[in-house]
Amino acid sequence: MQWSTIFKKELTEHWRSFKWIWVPIVFIMFAIMDPLTMYYFPIIMDSVGNVPEGATLDFPTPSVAEAMIMSFSQLGLLGVLIAVVVSMGLVSKEVKSGVYELVLSKPVSFTNYITAKYVAALMLIAFSLAVSLLVGWYYVNILFGTISLVQITVSILFFIVYFMMILGIVMLFNSFLKSQGLVAFLSIITVVILNVISSIYSHVITWSPTLISDYINMYFYSGQLETEIWFSTVAAVAITVMCLVIATITLKNRAID
Amino acid sequence: MDATLIQLLLPLGVLQLILIVIALIDLRKIDETNGPKWMWVLIIIFFNFIGPIIYFIIGRRT
Amino acid sequence: MTLMSVEQLTKTYQSTTVVNELTFSLEPGKCVALLGPNGAGKTTTLRMLAGFIKPTKGEIVFNEERFSRDVRHYVGYLPQYPVFHNWMSGEEFLTYVGQLAYLTKHEAKAKATELLELVNLSDAKKQRISKYSGGMKQRLGIAQALIHDPKLIILDEPVSSLDPIGRREVLNLIRELKKDATILFSTHILNDAEEVSEEILLMHKGEMIKQGAISEVSETQGTTSIHLSFEEEPKFIEERLKEIDSVFKVNREEEGFIVAVHDINIARSQLLDLIKHEEWELTRFEIGKTSLEDVFMKAVTE
Repeated sequence: MQWSTIFKKELTEHWRSFKWIWVPIVFIMFAIMDPLTMYYFPIIMDSVGNVPEGATLDFPTPSVAEAMIMSFSQLGLLGVLIAVVVSMGLVSKEVKSGVYELVLSKPVSFTNYITAKYVAALMLIAFSLAVSLLVGWYYVNILFGTISLVQITVSILFFIVYFMMILGIVMLFNSFLKSQGLVAFLSIITVVILNVISSIYSHVITWSPTLISDYINMYFYSGQLETEIWFSTVAAVAITVMCLVIATITLKNRAID
Repeated sequence: MDATLIQLLLPLGVLQLILIVIALIDLRKIDETNGPKWMWVLIIIFFNFIGPIIYFIIGRRT
Repeated sequence: MTLMSVEQLTKTYQSTTVVNELTFSLEPGKCVALLGPNGAGKTTTLRMLAGFIKPTKGEIVFNEERFSRDVRHYVGYLPQYPVFHNWMSGEEFLTYVGQLAYLTKHEAKAKATELLELVNLSDAKKQRISKYSGGMKQRLGIAQALIHDPKLIILDEPVSSLDPIGRREVLNLIRELKKDATILFSTHILNDAEEVSEEILLMHKGEMIKQGAISEVSETQGTTSIHLSFEEEPKFIEERLKEIDSVFKVNREEEGFIVAVHDINIARSQLLDLIKHEEWELTRFEIGKTSLEDVFMKAVTE
């Protein structure tokens, strides 16, 4: 009951600051931007008409898989950035402003406080991802050819798992930092480091959660789901749970001033 | 310009418009922004797409 | 029957001891003032009593067996600078914290309406909190402390940031509240303590230096003050007054001096002797009732 109180309050707060509108719209833009420009690139170049005499312009039209992957990779970069920015103040803002002291003076459980906020943020991001990638899929279907609904749905679900871990990391930094900017900065650094390490050792740590997007790409090319994606998913869930547990303990032992 | 192009670009325009409108509504409602409000009005209206996002990310002060 | 007893309560941050071995108890139905200058450790003490920072050492016992749960169920707390979710209305916020304290939505709403009435915010209950004035926020802060019918109400400096009208309103509210609950509030303003509380706890540099009923504390001190005014201020008068052994403090006021003394009878004759001997032109010699100020000054300077 207390959990749902905090959860509903979070959803309302997201709603009143228009996050439920602007985050999905921005994600949609990210998802359709690249497929659209790639498709119309030749036309745009034509209309600009600065092609020198005799030069032949040959733009290979991307394949369906390539086009769809563009949507995913755009969200994998800019979408992650937005997700981090949207959740950087979940706890840190309340601690800094002082509302936290009032909340704390009521019999609020730290677990409820952390997880309710986390799930509310995850819902916002998952919704935005699902909507934007479905719109991207629709555009790709019109412009480049067919991808099955099953394939896109499965890919979206795995992609959400990747974002789940990112929000977990953001929550962890939230639990002991006061500055939203620092939370965002360190979260992004952490995600970048994880990505770099996993791509260097991608043959060793095949279960790395940051490889989920690579496995999704392979899925679009081959139509076959790699077995490793399941290990990555388990690892992502484990890291998320770990982050949330540590965040709860950190917050509990944190001195307020 | 063919019909499909318009069909595909029209939704983009609509989304952009929604983004601008909600950013302006929020700007009107909010008590304080980082920097003067009139500046944000200009940013939101004239910087296509990026303007409203920048506003939502760094303009709002709560 | 005590409501809460505190033993050897201590809080240490790194190497500094902010609160040092406080021992006291709170009787139900009393209004107790926690007095002390800024930095005495009042806020830290109150936060520990309110159950959200852990003492380094010592014990806080809520003296009833059914109170074995988290003490926050039974304590209402108002921080020194209450901050709210400014995007909510006053009513929404009260309902929210009510539900955090395990009221149902329905109960929380009903209680919120009742409290908004009590703190005189009914007209503004649908307004966003960001539009509230400082005094309104303070009253909303008190209302949120009361939302779950706490047995003990803890208020951290409830009136010090308010203008005289706001201060009057809040003091009246405290007087109203103490009919049904135990109140512990901190202040560095002695008048506020004298006005509404029956007991005081006097803190200085993290230590409890005096405690008890206001009347008792004044008496046990055995101190009194004498007000002196002169036609013309004599030279070296402060030094001369301080030389008298029954005088322990001399305060310069606008119209003369307030001399705090240990024993009124001895001090009276000693002072009069001095004045007569020096032929100072006395215009006023008045034995004043001990104010908390005297107690406070004495305790702090000793």
